[in-house]
Amino acid sequence: MSRSVDVSTNERAYFIEGLKAGIRLNGRRFDEIRYPHNIHLSKEEYGYVELEWGKNKISVRVSSYIRKPFEDRPFEGIFNINCEINSMASAKFENGKNSDEEVLISRIIEKSIRRSNSLDLESLCIIAGEKVWNITVDLNFLNYDGNFIDIGCFGVMLALQHFKKPDISIINGGEDIIVHDINEREPQPLSILHVPVCLTYCFYNITNQQEVNIKGESTSDDIYLLDCDYKEDLLKSGSIIITLNKNREIIQLSKNGGIPIDASLLVDLALGSIKVVDELTDLMKKLIKDHEQQRFDELNLKLLQVGADR
Amino acid sequence: MSRMELYSPEGLRIDGRRWNELRRFESRINTHPNSCDGSSYVEQGNTKVICMVQGPMEPSSRSQADSAGATIEVNLSVASFSTFERKKRSKSEKRMVEMKATLERTFQQSVMCHLYPRTLISIDIHVLAQDGGLLASMANAVTLALIDAGVAMYDYVSCISVGLHDQTPLLDLNGLEEQDISTLTIGVIGKTEKLALLMLEDKMPLDHLESTLGIAIAATHRIRDLMDDEVRKHGNLRSSKLAKN
Repeated sequence: MSRSVDVSTNERAYFIEGLKAGIRLNGRRFDEIRYPHNIHLSKEEYGYVELEWGKNKISVRVSSYIRKPFEDRPFEGIFNINCEINSMASAKFENGKNSDEEVLISRIIEKSIRRSNSLDLESLCIIAGEKVWNITVDLNFLNYDGNFIDIGCFGVMLALQHFKKPDISIINGGEDIIVHDINEREPQPLSILHVPVCLTYCFYNITNQQEVNIKGESTSDDIYLLDCDYKEDLLKSGSIIITLNKNREIIQLSKNGGIPIDASLLVDLALGSIKVVDELTDLMKKLIKDHEQQRFDELNLKLLQVGADR
Repeated sequence: MSRMELYSPEGLRIDGRRWNELRRFESRINTHPNSCDGSSYVEQGNTKVICMVQGPMEPSSRSQADSAGATIEVNLSVASFSTFERKKRSKSEKRMVEMKATLERTFQQSVMCHLYPRTLISIDIHVLAQDGGLLASMANAVTLALIDAGVAMYDYVSCISVGLHDQTPLLDLNGLEEQDISTLTIGVIGKTEKLALLMLEDKMPLDHLESTLGIAIAATHRIRDLMDDEVRKHGNLRSSKLAKN
């Protein structure tokens, strides 16, 4: 049983009245997300990222090692995402027990990133059938404030772009390999084919007449909020998760229960999300670029560069 | 596998259908009249599903009794002989848990749960053979079984899967097609355009979403008619028996 606190009827009514007047209790617009802040990209370690998103907090670590590939896929590296949600984040998650909600969160993050091939697995191959990289992402949720999926997906993609694996040279005509220490040779970033961004819309039926909603034609009664916080999440009557990338592709769509959504509205939401997706993708790009630049300046890597700037 | 021609220039798919043709849809209701309150059997092409509904009944544990409405519980079992390669599947597999949760949450909304407070409606689904469109067939089977059990619903929940091959939407994918192209499964309530269930697992260009959804919704309305025919046929049979007595 989840130990989440139920919201009182008064609070619910107040919240719904607010929505009717076009106001969210947290002061955001309906289609406004909480932008990630306090983003910490580790300087000591490639692929360690901590970030906050509203009051959500996550830490992501990417690690790699070399292993033998699966026999049916000799040319492909191995990539896993480990999603760890425990009661540290919120009392509604229980230790050691995978509730449906937890499974859905990790499954959707996995679908968005792993199944969509956002990481090029063939580039992880070192010697076909013998040695490939195994990349593991450990995703730890430290504090919960609604909407784990969006923040988890953002965190994992940021960490993957931040991560670098040691450089490798193949010797003896493909017999052996040398793994170069990261201090000896500049490590290599992963090859990322596209950057998926998850967006969760929660919806609310403000008339409270379910039958009208299900059978009726009018959709003006439904209100859609992007990126819900803890309380909004408790009050939602349904949600839909859209994963998109910058190339205007839908990676994943899922709607788990909740009041039905009109097909045309779905298309509108998806089209409207493009702007937010662009913003978040650019933000990730900028963060990585700034971090690289900072590192470049601090370590004075310019000294090592050969070649004249023309 | 991608070397196989999924959609020929003449407009034929590997099993000889056109892009907008459904597979054979056959359904039966009340297949297990003695063992449960409602039952159904659905075949969509080579995907075969049996569904049995128990309830509304008193839940075995107090925690399942919700004073606001009925609790819906789905049990999913996929037979080990359901695919070409025999394989034992565990119930805790993430894909299974996800499908189970999706079905539970979908029907929690489509059944008039508030009419049955403090009760449990238990739905058992058995997958006998799978050849694409599994989630859709299961949802259709559950709808029929719930109707057979006499549980009040707002309307039929009819489901279909649809894929996108290049620019052409392909309706009701079979197993081979499903492996290669992205699949969107939708469930629609009655003859509206309201989506109760939605699942897309692979990439699909955003600009094609609208056309794909359009054909899928038309198909769900067709499926609804086919299910409705079956329910009415069964109903007529029953009433004629009653009239004789």
